[in-house]
Amino acid sequence: MSAAAAWRLPPRTLAARLTAILFAGLLLAHALSFALLFYERYVSSRTMMLGSMEQDVPLSVALLERLSPAERAGWMPRLERRTYRYLLRPAQPGGPLASDRARQVTALIDASLQHRYPLSARAVSSAPERFEVELRLSDGQPLTIEVTPSVMPLARWLPVVLAIQAGLLLLCAWLAVRIATRPLAQFADAVERLDPAQARPALSRAGPLEVVRAAAAFDAMQARIRQYLAERLQILAAISHDLQTPITRMKLRVEAMDASAESQRLAEDLAQLEQLVRDGVAYARSTHGAATPPVKLHLQALLESVVCDYQDAGKPVALAGAPTEAAPTTRPQALRRLLGNLVDNAIKYGGRAEIGTHALAGERIAVDVCDDGPGIPEAELAAVLQPFYRLEHSRSRDTGGTGLGLAIAQQLATTLGGELVLENRREGGLRARVILPAA
Amino acid sequence: MDRTDHILIVDDDRDIRQMVASYLQKNGLRTTTAADGREMKAALDTSDIDLVVLDVMMPGEDGLSLCRGLRAGKHRAVPVLMLTARDDETDRIVGLEMGADDYLVKPFSSRELLARIGAVLRRTRMLPPNLQVSEAGRLIAFGRWRLDTTARHLLDEQGTAYPLSGAEFRLLRVFVDHAQRVLSRDQLLNLTQGRDAELFDRSIDLLVSRLRQRLKDDAREPAYIKTVRSEGYVFCQAVTLLGEQA
Repeated sequence: MSAAAAWRLPPRTLAARLTAILFAGLLLAHALSFALLFYERYVSSRTMMLGSMEQDVPLSVALLERLSPAERAGWMPRLERRTYRYLLRPAQPGGPLASDRARQVTALIDASLQHRYPLSARAVSSAPERFEVELRLSDGQPLTIEVTPSVMPLARWLPVVLAIQAGLLLLCAWLAVRIATRPLAQFADAVERLDPAQARPALSRAGPLEVVRAAAAFDAMQARIRQYLAERLQILAAISHDLQTPITRMKLRVEAMDASAESQRLAEDLAQLEQLVRDGVAYARSTHGAATPPVKLHLQALLESVVCDYQDAGKPVALAGAPTEAAPTTRPQALRRLLGNLVDNAIKYGGRAEIGTHALAGERIAVDVCDDGPGIPEAELAAVLQPFYRLEHSRSRDTGGTGLGLAIAQQLATTLGGELVLENRREGGLRARVILPAA
Repeated sequence: MDRTDHILIVDDDRDIRQMVASYLQKNGLRTTTAADGREMKAALDTSDIDLVVLDVMMPGEDGLSLCRGLRAGKHRAVPVLMLTARDDETDRIVGLEMGADDYLVKPFSSRELLARIGAVLRRTRMLPPNLQVSEAGRLIAFGRWRLDTTARHLLDEQGTAYPLSGAEFRLLRVFVDHAQRVLSRDQLLNLTQGRDAELFDRSIDLLVSRLRQRLKDDAREPAYIKTVRSEGYVFCQAVTLLGEQA
């Protein structure tokens, strides 16, 4: 749980994560090797300093002892070294020695002078570290060895080189990750564009072996889905065709019978059976929505033609609200059928239907079909879009219906790149909203 | 319709054939039945058939290819009413493209069939045969519009589709088939009337004004549909056939 939660932290993309991990790892390795090098250099330079001091200090002290006090000052610059120098004065006041190194150097000086001089050592400054070791020459003149231990100074171009190296590391990490993850991203894009109902060329077989295998597996899966869809369609079409001939026969027979209550009921049963067969095929076909090519459609003209057809047939359907000038690119036949299903539903349960449009944010347009019926209980709003789902109170035979009308509408909306949303209106009745891309 | 119209019923199902035939006979039509394409051709050659009711789904040569063969042969003028098993746009379109004059989805009622037969006979008789430009599957141009007779919508100059209602499409089709000819309200009503057996109680005048609106035609100075005082209406645009659609 917590591990999963940790992975939800940014960055979220695989590429960014891999880049970060690679870069951090390389940078750490680089820093470690640099630190090691630096330490090595530090140790060797100290060893060098101590080694030279061990020979240099007794030599210099012996030389100064042999010189007359007047000559000593002239030799001072010549005895000076990079990390220490000699001064003909007492040591400056200061604290006790602070570092191991200072004590080590003092002991070294003491040992190199064979403990013949009493030494007094004092730390004068801590940053940069500086300490003074004072002794008295045999004629009583004070001599101070001022030590400023330091490693060889770093070249000024070193930080620049380091920065360039870090940049190079980052670039390499990013490039490597990009090369590794790009086929994956392309694969995901290709998968996203796939529509199992459409026979499409297979995914490209480019990229690393793992991605190629995933693409092959995906193609196989898609082929299976396509086969299932085709089978479903075939079965439904076969059933419907084989049912339609006997239904036609029964219908013709019932019509040839003398009118009676019995033949009337038989005719109603047949009509219901017929409707079920028709809706079943329509539902199976609605997943194959791309029969006709999409065109730029004047939406208002379509709505008007739908309303006119219903009005001509004496049905209470009206247009409401301001006309729209929207002209989405869509499939008019599928949209007409979709709206027809919604209007039929509204008339069946709500007595009448009202169609209107609303422009929505994000280049979308809503076509609303409203009725004044009882609506649908909130808990069942999503369920009624499932095929063969019917509300408890509509199961009676007199409302009829096959439970497929809304499922077909939902499928068609999906094939049109839109969605179908059902909502109970505050003023009562149901609002079926079809949201379509407006362009 | 003529009392002695002779209808040929082609269906592989014996019961359907006989029941349809007896219903049509009861309504005063003469009928002949055929179980397959061979019998259909024989009947066409020996008797004077006015209309063929043709089932699409038949074993052997199916209705679509029979219809195409009929349209290519010497009986090409005989109107055909297709019976299809599927209520599907593509079937309808293919059927009409194969040269059928109308179609009816199974299961149908005998009353519906009778009404359709009447409508098809009426329509084909009132038209000079070479003027039936509005067959399905064609693109027809007039004025600033193109009419797609398959999808049943108008296309403007930018290619935006303006769908038509069923009644509007039927009326426009009649006008386009009879361009430059004055049509009386009675004629229009007859030719336009219900393919889908829907109630058609709107007057032709109302429908014409709706169609004018659809064509963005000015009712006072119409460029498409002119009113001829005390006679009827005339479609006054030149009609060009842009050819068959793919």
